[in-house]
Amino acid sequence: MLQSLLLILWLVFGIMAVSGLFYKNHYDNQVLGVTLSPEHAQFPEVEEIVKRFQKACYAVLLLSIGLSLLMLVQMFGAYAEFYMVVLVMVNFFANWFIIHRYQQKLLALKKEKAWTYPRKRVVAVDLNVAKEKGRSSFSAVWSWLFLGLSFGPAVFLMLYPESQAFYPIGFSLIGPLCQLGPIYLYYQMRTRHTPALSDNTEINKACARTEERVNTMAATLSALALLTFWILLNISIVYLKNGLAVALAAFILVVALLIIANWQQGKIRAVENRFFGAISAGGGDIFETGSTWKWGCYYNPSDYRIIVPKRMASMGWTLNIGRPAGKAIGLGMLVSLLVLTGIIGAVLYGGSKDYRITANGPAIMIDAAMYDLTLEKDQVVSVSTIDDIPAGIRTNGYGGVNKSFGHFAIDGYGKCMLYVYNQVDKYIVLQLAGNDPGYVIVNDKSPEKTEQLYQTIRQWLDE
Amino acid sequence: MILKIDMTSDIPIYQQIRNQIVFGVAKGNIKAGDSLPTVRQLANDIGVNPMTVNKAYALLKEEGIILIDRRHGAKISNLGMKGNAFDPDFDQRAELLIAEARMKGASRQDVKMHILNLIDSVYE
Repeated sequence: MLQSLLLILWLVFGIMAVSGLFYKNHYDNQVLGVTLSPEHAQFPEVEEIVKRFQKACYAVLLLSIGLSLLMLVQMFGAYAEFYMVVLVMVNFFANWFIIHRYQQKLLALKKEKAWTYPRKRVVAVDLNVAKEKGRSSFSAVWSWLFLGLSFGPAVFLMLYPESQAFYPIGFSLIGPLCQLGPIYLYYQMRTRHTPALSDNTEINKACARTEERVNTMAATLSALALLTFWILLNISIVYLKNGLAVALAAFILVVALLIIANWQQGKIRAVENRFFGAISAGGGDIFETGSTWKWGCYYNPSDYRIIVPKRMASMGWTLNIGRPAGKAIGLGMLVSLLVLTGIIGAVLYGGSKDYRITANGPAIMIDAAMYDLTLEKDQVVSVSTIDDIPAGIRTNGYGGVNKSFGHFAIDGYGKCMLYVYNQVDKYIVLQLAGNDPGYVIVNDKSPEKTEQLYQTIRQWLDE
Repeated sequence: MILKIDMTSDIPIYQQIRNQIVFGVAKGNIKAGDSLPTVRQLANDIGVNPMTVNKAYALLKEEGIILIDRRHGAKISNLGMKGNAFDPDFDQRAELLIAEARMKGASRQDVKMHILNLIDSVYE
């Protein structure tokens, strides 16, 4: 479990570092979100700032990994989940801070050198190119096929309904839902604006055709990467039942997406250089992007698009908060984020709160965050102790490094409610009259305390 | 023909599209019978709402500059190239522009020279 958490942490740190390192590349006339022409981007002072930024990215990555290893120390391990969230927050802040710091350095240099670009944003569209949009794209059939294949786990659950005991069918529909994302991306990429920098319409057309092919292929490959992740995730849940395999599937997805983004970015740059050569090197349709960015968000009331590419187009999409609909969606997302933070807070609270098991007359009450349980005496068939819990899977509950509670499906027991400290190798098993749950498994913070609890429960049953 | 749309301009985008197509037809960059991209294609390429392009096309259709066919999309019409060039609206708009130039201190000679240069750029 701790190894899985460490892997997830390193994955997050890696993604943050790689995103920062992507951001330093000169793409779309920008370096670290600061508008610079290709000529200015090659100045030694700019290259020096970029080099130092790169070193800072590596330093944050190594420091974060080093701090994460403290989770292996008993003192930090006891609060592993909480420590993990703190580390992720610190890493996010450190990455934001270095990007901001080096952006400021670039802006200061730009001011000192008096590098100014037009503030007007002029979009050049070749009518003959626009007419051909969508004709050179990679076939959409593949993306739709991947969507169809993502229903595989749902079909499996319908064919083998017994698997639904530990794998709810609703969960199997998350994959197809996520698979709609790359389909949307595909159609966005197909109609994406391509620069019309040449007066020769044939050159514009040739460039647009190649870019359309590259962009749609990148979207299709992203769909394939997501499908591969989804299938691997399901295999690891249904067959391997191993947290490490789940982390590995996520690792493969992230690495694949980064490779695809890097390939698409490099290819588009090469295509534009090949077709537009000197025009592209001179900045082409360069304009000051700073004028359309506010508080780190795209802000352009005269731009009718709600979802727009980020400053680095291949980094994804963002909202135009200059439009009323953009503001509403942004606000909705902010509220969702706050709700999600609240849920994470509640889970962390649950993870740190001790169980309280009290016998009260004819009932025994188990107090645990979100999964309280009251058992009547006549519900309990027998009580016994075991030294080990067989392998199983969490169906709806909390599974942390130190504690596991909620609904689980355990081999040989079926549906169970667990309220256990994972590091204590002694458990009390209460067999119930029904089978949903069929068993309640509890323990205390040490084998001695568990034994005491066992005697208390026995006494309560005998009364 | 290349459209250059200024996203930060005060002139509405649909008006800019309409004006540039008129320029294109006048200069012979697009000719009668040439097809235009569909509303959706052009809107996606410029990065604006299809309603904006639709509005520009509706304006051009009303002026007889384009024909919209359900099957073949929008095409440049030769109807826009006929008719009275110097209608009262032309006189009114030209007169107003000259009056504004005079108000700002331009002499008769300045206005004449400037208009001749503009004529040259359209009839090049």
